[in-house]
Amino acid sequence: MATVEERVKMVTAKVLDLSPEEIQLEHSFTEDLGAESVQSIELVAMFEEEFGIEMDEDAALAVTTVGGAVDFITKVCKEQGVAIEE
Amino acid sequence: MAKSRRHHNLPDVVRPNLLEDIFPYDLPPKIRFDGPAVEYIDGKPVQFDFSTVKDRDIVITDTTFRDGQQSLPPYSVDQMVKIYDLLSRLGGPNGVIRQTEFFLYTKNDRLTLDRCRELGHRYPECTGWIRAVKGDFRLVKEAGLRETGLLTSCSDYHIFHKLKFPSHKACMDSYCEVVQAAFDAGVRPRCHLEDVTRADIERFVLPFVDRLMEMSEGVPEELSVKIRLCDTMGFGVSYPGAELPRSIPKLIYKLNRECGVPSNRLEWHGHNDFHKVHINGTTAWLYGCDALNSTLFGFGERTGNPPLEGAVFEYIALKGSLCGIDTLAITELADYMRSIGLPIPDNYPFAGHSFNVTRAGIHAGGLRQDERIYNIFDTEKLLGRPPRVAITDKSGADGVVHWVNEFFGLKGDDRINKIKVHRLARWVIDQYDVDGRLTPISDQELAAKAKEFFPDYWAKYKANV
Repeated sequence: MATVEERVKMVTAKVLDLSPEEIQLEHSFTEDLGAESVQSIELVAMFEEEFGIEMDEDAALAVTTVGGAVDFITKVCKEQGVAIEE
Repeated sequence: MAKSRRHHNLPDVVRPNLLEDIFPYDLPPKIRFDGPAVEYIDGKPVQFDFSTVKDRDIVITDTTFRDGQQSLPPYSVDQMVKIYDLLSRLGGPNGVIRQTEFFLYTKNDRLTLDRCRELGHRYPECTGWIRAVKGDFRLVKEAGLRETGLLTSCSDYHIFHKLKFPSHKACMDSYCEVVQAAFDAGVRPRCHLEDVTRADIERFVLPFVDRLMEMSEGVPEELSVKIRLCDTMGFGVSYPGAELPRSIPKLIYKLNRECGVPSNRLEWHGHNDFHKVHINGTTAWLYGCDALNSTLFGFGERTGNPPLEGAVFEYIALKGSLCGIDTLAITELADYMRSIGLPIPDNYPFAGHSFNVTRAGIHAGGLRQDERIYNIFDTEKLLGRPPRVAITDKSGADGVVHWVNEFFGLKGDDRINKIKVHRLARWVIDQYDVDGRLTPISDQELAAKAKEFFPDYWAKYKANV
């Protein structure tokens, strides 16, 4: 199973039409990767689908970086009892 | 023609003239008159001063439960009680909605009547509706009603072809027997002159009404006959110069001034077969009929009746004030009707989902500058419905989720969050970014997408609407 980081980068690349290799943990979704408003919503929706979790809308949209998303999703997966590879 | 031309100077106007005395915005635009109307009757000019309508006790009467129900599946008792309660609130303490009528034939008819009266509202007064059959007055008496409508069809289509009377006289005698039975029972008869706009006015209607007036002279005022002019097929015509029997001005003049039926005993009941139903009702008011019979949202036999909510706004426009009317009840009634499965078209005035939604980008721009530019009056204040703009590329996910929650009527914890609408938000964006769209997206288009993207919500909230 791929790690959370790999899966987050894969989803981000797909939604923002980028190569996974271009994406760094410190990248901001909006400023560095160019995510527009509706793409931020799509990212959260795709993360939910990829990991089989449900995230709080406000908390999820408050996450600004790829690394932040990895940490947040890891936390939510543990809370919701979803198995992941860290 | 050239000789009558007049030059009009363009003055140096630098301040807007918004005509706020006519268009006050916190009220519907006022209807004011600056001179009498003239109608030629029997070759002679007759003046009608419409400005007197402001001081006359014109009223709205309701037939939502009678004619309104003839075009729809029956209401339940609870539904009728709820509607009656809201009608009372709408009409206010001055009884602008003065009366409503009920069938009296079944156990449920009686139960409904009793439960409505138990609410203790003074208005609308409950009246009955029965056939022109003497025995039916027992039902009216048992129900404790003071007034009932009774069908006195008056065109020869009815008299000869439906009711099979051998003559006008036989028909009139039969009707007058029933009227006498009403007097004997202590019940005020309201004669519904069915199909009057297709009737033989001179040779049946006027002699019949003359006789009703003579009979009324022998009873107390509170029992005297009322006349309802029923434009059963919507043949009535409002404008001057039209001939009888279709002319509403002439019909009302004949009954009001020749037969002497006072205005407060004259009522107009229309149908919308020729798209004239609302203006015909207003015309009846102006020419001397005090009561305009109507139904909520115009629901009624075939094409429907004068819409009650339209009459309400016309009333306010003519009177120049709310007169105790609670217009917000219209929106509650519309929501309630939809909730029980009675559709109201989106573009339906005052009550449809999109009646004050602008789709044109240029209108949206106008609304942003001054909502009065493209809103008929303060619809938020009077109907709880602020003007809206249809979804565009500028709406964002926030706009889309707002639309979805409003569309499905979701409140509180039931509301969908932004994450769940991402597919619809994407579809909206792609309409502009990918497909090059330049126009707003209509509610109909969004509804189709909502059905596709939210099938569970659609099944729960929209499938039966």
